[in-house]
Amino acid sequence: MGIIKGALELTGRKTLKMFADAGSVAVMLMDAVRMIPKRPFRLKLLLKQIEFIGANSVPIVILTGIFTGMVFGLQCYVGFRNFGAESMAGTIVALAMIRELGPVLSSIMVAARAGSAMTAELGTMKVTEQIDALYSMAVDPVHYLMVPRLTASMIAMPLMNGICILFGLLGGYFVNVIVMGTNASMYYDNSVLYVNGADIFNSMFKALVFGIIIASICCYNGFNTKMGAEGVGKATTTAVVQSCVLILMFDYIMTSFLV
Amino acid sequence: MPNMIEMTDVHKSFGRQKVHSGINLNVVKGAITVIIGPSGTGKSVLLKEMMGLVLPDSGKITVDGVDIETATKSRLLELRKKFGMLFQNAALFDSMTVSENVAFPLKEHTAMTEREIKSAVADRLRMVGLSGADDKYPSELSGGMKKRVGLARALALEPEIMLYDEPTTGLDPIMTDVVDDLIFDTQKKLDITSVVISHDIRSVLKIADYIGMIYNGKIVRYGTPEDFRTTDDPYVRQFFSGSKDGPIKVY
Ligand SMILES: Nc1ncnc2c1ncn2[C@@H]1O[C@H](COP(=O)(O)OP(=O)(O)OP(=O)(O)O)[C@@H](O)[C@H]1O
Ligand SMILES: [Mg+2]
Repeated sequence: MGIIKGALELTGRKTLKMFADAGSVAVMLMDAVRMIPKRPFRLKLLLKQIEFIGANSVPIVILTGIFTGMVFGLQCYVGFRNFGAESMAGTIVALAMIRELGPVLSSIMVAARAGSAMTAELGTMKVTEQIDALYSMAVDPVHYLMVPRLTASMIAMPLMNGICILFGLLGGYFVNVIVMGTNASMYYDNSVLYVNGADIFNSMFKALVFGIIIASICCYNGFNTKMGAEGVGKATTTAVVQSCVLILMFDYIMTSFLV
Repeated sequence: MPNMIEMTDVHKSFGRQKVHSGINLNVVKGAITVIIGPSGTGKSVLLKEMMGLVLPDSGKITVDGVDIETATKSRLLELRKKFGMLFQNAALFDSMTVSENVAFPLKEHTAMTEREIKSAVADRLRMVGLSGADDKYPSELSGGMKKRVGLARALALEPEIMLYDEPTTGLDPIMTDVVDDLIFDTQKKLDITSVVISHDIRSVLKIADYIGMIYNGKIVRYGTPEDFRTTDDPYVRQFFSGSKDGPIKVY
């Protein structure tokens, strides 16, 4: 009995804490959103964050896009060859890259690369009292630290998505047309045939939402870091895991509304 | 004399550890109040409570008549502009140079031009004996130098209320004297209200208008330096003589 009661209690506590945390993240996000139009505009900080979150993520996003496109293109080719419809591989690669793989994979990469660094930086500032120092100088840390990161993610994430998709399509094209010898114009026609404007818009919308998820989860964990270097490590891991899980969850939720 | 900060029956615990159990303290406007007490008794927490960085579990804190607990976030930010704080560990922004650190509050809260800020920063750094360290990063400074940069940054805006957390700990005797004078002079010149945490008995007696001694979560004695010099309060006598025998338990 004791064990069951203990397990139930633990589950209950964890669940409550999860909802409480989710609530706090939402409150902080609302706070930050409300502060976006507030002066002073910190353009320099914003550009620095766009460089960090966006520009510096380009290489890894390109690699992710290319190899995903290539392996997915190869699998589709092999699959469709079974019933002699190899050229249809282009359709599936294009739809999958645009609708799912581009936004999800690029944002998971950005979460791992830039989100982790975001949490580590803010967490270190927290445990060394630099965040308190901001407060003491009457500067709101949400305005000074989170707003530039949030805006930068919202701008950079759709761009990263576009780059990932572009290179994914190139990867698929390379494997199918150049390596496997599918007819180039048939492959191309099949690629664009079933893709419409709404697909691209929805894809960019997803990337935008994922950017918001990354910035809010990573900033929240940074601001709430406790206890020294170990705490910073823990916060960073938690932030990346939570961002990735939430990206996948929100991907399903959004897809179910969008299709 | 009116009070700038009033703390009434303030309680604060971290988890199961009780840090403050009924603090009553009034900080007199335009005077230097020094807080003394053994390590770990909650002096730094006390300063953070005054500024609303740490909220007490119960009790009331007012600054210039405003209740900190019920103040809105924007009101609290407004209130904090009155304050300057030197943190115990200096809390410098480690991704900014020394001069950027000192310039930070000026850039945030004044309309000064780039040139004016530059000269103000040079001025503040000279005041704390750090001319020439402008372009160093905090990780390249010694402990005492960090503290002095923190001091220059806290004083940059010439606040109404200055909170100093151990401003002279880690400084050599000469620098200690310089910083003591700096605290004393700014206080007299700008007529600000200062709260200083210090372990240095000599400088406490030199600069204080009032002294409060904290032990076991309470202010066990409050008075003028004259009072502290002459009282036979066993807490004060033990602390001043630096003896491990007495009512203050170390173990
Ligand atoms: N954020 C915190 N979380 C948990 N405990 C804390 C926190 N801040 C302070 N404490 C605890 O509160 C007590 C008082 O800490 P404080 O830093 O105020 O001591 P102090 O009087 O300034 O000591 P010292 O003279 O050594 O600086 C300590 O025992 C410390 O462990
Ligand atoms: Mg302290």
